[in-house]
Amino acid sequence: MLQRLDRLQEDALAALAAAEDENGLRQLEVQFLGKRGALTALLKGLGKLPAEERPAVGQAANRVKVTLAAELLNRRKVLAEAQLAAELSGEGFDSTLPGPGAPDGSLHPLTVLRQELEDVFLSMGFRVVDGPELETEAHNFDDLNIPGDHPARESHDTLWVRNPSQPGAGDGLCMRTHTSPVQIRALRRFGAPLKVVAPGRVFRQETPDASHDHTFHQMEGLVVGPGVGVSHMLHAMRSLLAGAFGKELETRLRPGFFPFVEPGFELDARCPFCQSGCRVCKGSTWIELMPGGLVHPEVLRAGGVDPQEHSGYAFGLGLSRLAMLRWGIDNVRWLLSGDLRFLGQFRS
Amino acid sequence: MKISLDWLSDFVNLEGVSATELADRLSLRTAEVEGVSVVGESLSQVVVGEVLSCEPHPEADRLSVTQVAFGADEAVPVVCGAPNVRKGLKVAFAPIGSCLPGDLKIKKAKLRGVESFGMICSASELELADDQEGILELEDTAAVGVGLVEHLELADSVLELDNKSLTHRPDLWGHWGMAREVAAIWGRSLKGPALSPTFSDNAELPRIEIQDAQACPYYAALRVDLKGNPRPSPAWMARRLRAVGQRPIHDVVDLTNYILLEIGQPTHAFDADRVAGDALLVRSAENGEVLTTLDGQERSLACTDLLIADSSGPLALAGVMGGLSSEVHDGTTTLLLESAHFDAVRVRRSAARFGLRTEASTRFEKSLDPSWADLALRRFTHILAEIRPEASVAASPSWAGCSAAPERELALDPIRTASLLGLPSLSLEKITEPLQALGFGVREQEGSLLVSVPSWRASKDITQEVDLVEEVGRLSGYENIDPRPLERHSEFHLPEASWVLQRLLGRRLAGAWRGYETESYSFLHSAWATRLSLEEDDFLHLCNPVQDEVHLIRRDPIPSLLDQAAANLREHATGCLFEFAKGYEPDGETPQERSWLGVVMWGEEARVDGPGSFFGRARSVAEDLFIMAGVKAEPESGRGSFSWAHPVRSLSWQAQGVSVAVSGCPDPGLLAELGLRDRAWGLLLVDLAAVIGLHPSSHAFQAPPRFPGIKVDIALSLPRELAYAEVESAVRLAGGNLLESVQLFDLFEGDPLPPTHRSLGFRVLLRTAERTLEEKDERLFLDRVGAAALEMGGQLRA
Repeated sequence: MLQRLDRLQEDALAALAAAEDENGLRQLEVQFLGKRGALTALLKGLGKLPAEERPAVGQAANRVKVTLAAELLNRRKVLAEAQLAAELSGEGFDSTLPGPGAPDGSLHPLTVLRQELEDVFLSMGFRVVDGPELETEAHNFDDLNIPGDHPARESHDTLWVRNPSQPGAGDGLCMRTHTSPVQIRALRRFGAPLKVVAPGRVFRQETPDASHDHTFHQMEGLVVGPGVGVSHMLHAMRSLLAGAFGKELETRLRPGFFPFVEPGFELDARCPFCQSGCRVCKGSTWIELMPGGLVHPEVLRAGGVDPQEHSGYAFGLGLSRLAMLRWGIDNVRWLLSGDLRFLGQFRS
Repeated sequence: MKISLDWLSDFVNLEGVSATELADRLSLRTAEVEGVSVVGESLSQVVVGEVLSCEPHPEADRLSVTQVAFGADEAVPVVCGAPNVRKGLKVAFAPIGSCLPGDLKIKKAKLRGVESFGMICSASELELADDQEGILELEDTAAVGVGLVEHLELADSVLELDNKSLTHRPDLWGHWGMAREVAAIWGRSLKGPALSPTFSDNAELPRIEIQDAQACPYYAALRVDLKGNPRPSPAWMARRLRAVGQRPIHDVVDLTNYILLEIGQPTHAFDADRVAGDALLVRSAENGEVLTTLDGQERSLACTDLLIADSSGPLALAGVMGGLSSEVHDGTTTLLLESAHFDAVRVRRSAARFGLRTEASTRFEKSLDPSWADLALRRFTHILAEIRPEASVAASPSWAGCSAAPERELALDPIRTASLLGLPSLSLEKITEPLQALGFGVREQEGSLLVSVPSWRASKDITQEVDLVEEVGRLSGYENIDPRPLERHSEFHLPEASWVLQRLLGRRLAGAWRGYETESYSFLHSAWATRLSLEEDDFLHLCNPVQDEVHLIRRDPIPSLLDQAAANLREHATGCLFEFAKGYEPDGETPQERSWLGVVMWGEEARVDGPGSFFGRARSVAEDLFIMAGVKAEPESGRGSFSWAHPVRSLSWQAQGVSVAVSGCPDPGLLAELGLRDRAWGLLLVDLAAVIGLHPSSHAFQAPPRFPGIKVDIALSLPRELAYAEVESAVRLAGGNLLESVQLFDLFEGDPLPPTHRSLGFRVLLRTAERTLEEKDERLFLDRVGAAALEMGGQLRA
């Protein structure tokens, strides 16, 4: 019996020494020390032994059990260390293999830019409002102090709209040529004082080329209240540019003519891309970015606001142009192309 | 418009002001200067030379071999082909290494065996005249070696102004008006143009008859006897005209152009001998009347056109262009010089109708100062006396109408001016000074100012107080305005629901559903009407589309999204595009605007229905977006009114009795027509306004359960025609109130199933809040599911 115990111990130790991993160890543990293992099986024969031999065999069996358990523990430790050492050696691990890749999907660059600017204005207490793309002639022109015989109407190259359910009626519908009609709508809806921005698409009867499309995007800004003046407009415009370009830009105002503002301005900003002139600013270091001005009294009146009591400023930002500047997009037609090779570049 | 600095300095002293300085300041104070060019720059290397000797070329009859001295150490041999080259002549000489206009580089050349070291230039080679024959002959007194630019006093700088920035300024369309701005900006004095004395009488002939006083408030004609024929203008006039881009023709036409470019008032010279009768009529044209204009074009007139006519018919299109028949020609001896005031709108409409934007119409359509009409005649008379002393000019023009400018006095509140401009320290003097410099009259009255508007600004530009505020502001310098935040308590405004929804759904689609947001055009090709089985009249139309056939205004974004998706197929076998878009429907008197979210997905699918299909995907996107939007919507089979959707494989989503969306596949016929049948497609269109109009469903937190649940996977083999929804109900019923969720995880057909059957694999989660479930609960559920499966003609598999 004792011999068999010795054999068992010998066999078990040899097997443990040969085991290569935790799995193997676990199998051996079950094989030798488990409930139905070899040691238990052997000890079942204990009862058949003469009583005087039993204590010695029992002790021996216990020794075998303790020895094997200790060796098992030892082997576990050695194997774990070896495994750790192997992992730390870096062998069999290719860190240059790729991951699963970033998922598809993104917002349109115009949306990305628009939301950034909306957030700038929301933080300054503006409302963000929307207006229809199909407008009446009255909203798009008359109410904005652009009377029927005004040359500005022609320069707007309007896309006129016919409603077939109203044949013959010159119903004076057009695709809005600017976001400015939202000025009238917002004034009538909210009254003064008022701070709004209105982003959206606008349309011109224009043959598309690299820098012009018949559909493009603008963002209108309008602030009306007592004592509102040019310095407030300048502040808002500069905040907007800081938001769009992520840094403060030097600006300058030049006179500009738009019938719905007086005085009217063009805002230039120092080219954010160069110090001494580049392709974007055509060597001048200034970029013409935004027309604006003090809201014309006639426009305030059309919006139901008394120009004696309130004054205001308005500006019209070319979102499409700003997006092109911001990302260096060379052709405006990419914006409405729906081309995934274009859209895929603006994850945000 | 081009402004010559040489010309400008007739009216204002430009000493110490460089051309670029002028351009910069004018851009910041007045109007945009687009560029500055230097006249004569291309001739800078051409010098005065003298022909020392001139011999015939030994090999060529028409060529001469000359020796030309040009101030260098030695004279050089030059071969010249001009007939007028001769010994002793002073010429314009381009030596080797110099450059002529058009980037013509002068090199040593060999002409028929004789070497030539430079070029004797003709006026046209120097771009000083158009087609004069032979070389340019300079005066004998010209100093050899002096630069030609210096000798001819060509040096000038020209500013190019952006016409668009001048649309509201009728006074700035000539050198004199621009000089007034310059004088005011630099605080210098302004000289007026020299004029002949005022006319006192109204000459008898020709009689002037104005039939439409609104279209032509004033008309004057001055008889001029040239005492000879038209001849070339003096050099100084030709030079100035050329500098600002006008081709000199002869002294009569040149002088009218000169006055137009100087004062801004167009005039027109008729050949008096070619005017029939003794009266000039200003009248509206009759429909169909014909006039051949100066450019040789026969124009069919309409009653909106205003004409100058004589007894035999039309002579000129008023304010736009003269007629060919009465044009001044080489043999003309007597002129009738017209100077008039025409209505801006009438001129603009005629010019636009004929696409004939002339220097005259461009100016008249700005609403010119009516008093300029007489001013132009007096300026003409004055210059004519200088350049053509023998000419005899009538003592007075004959005229009709009224040339008085509107008189206007406006109140200007200094405090308001300072506040609007954001220049708090603006003093009364600082307001008055610039206005006076620009010709406004200013007087003080009880702390306020009364400002009288000069005639050249009163015709259109300055009508209200704010117009004066602009004048004060721009001359005070906009750079002095500091940005200041508007210090006002900002109320909180609840954002618009549509704005919130768009942000929410856009981010979800781009993030979770891996869609790319796009922007597509609002206009559709007319072929789309047929493709959608609609009439063209079901759309709004563009009257003047950019592309003829693309004249329908979209009702919803699905067609344009399909177009964009189709264009992507070559590079992208799968994809997802979505767009927030407005759509329009004619719908009775007022067109109906709709706000849509459109989604188009494409790729490969193993099955046309179920979780892996695009139909299923569109359904899940819809369900997810409704959860995001906080509304409960239920699908019904059908495509609603959307003919691009598949008649069978579509779901119409209803919420609170309103249709809110359609999801599913495109109509197979439409796909075939677009050539897109080889792909699997999913569509979703959400009516955003309808979603916003719904009452949001309440959503409350539920505490996670304390007891563990049991996951049971089952597979049921069932007849194919049994709808999934029925099977799911049966499974739910079998689970009773222990059933927490059911999820389809496998759908299988074919071996070993009979061909009539399919297998549905469900993952079921059983749980109760009262206790931990036991094995018997699971068994009971399986028994019930098994029984239900048998009842439905199938069985529970393994």
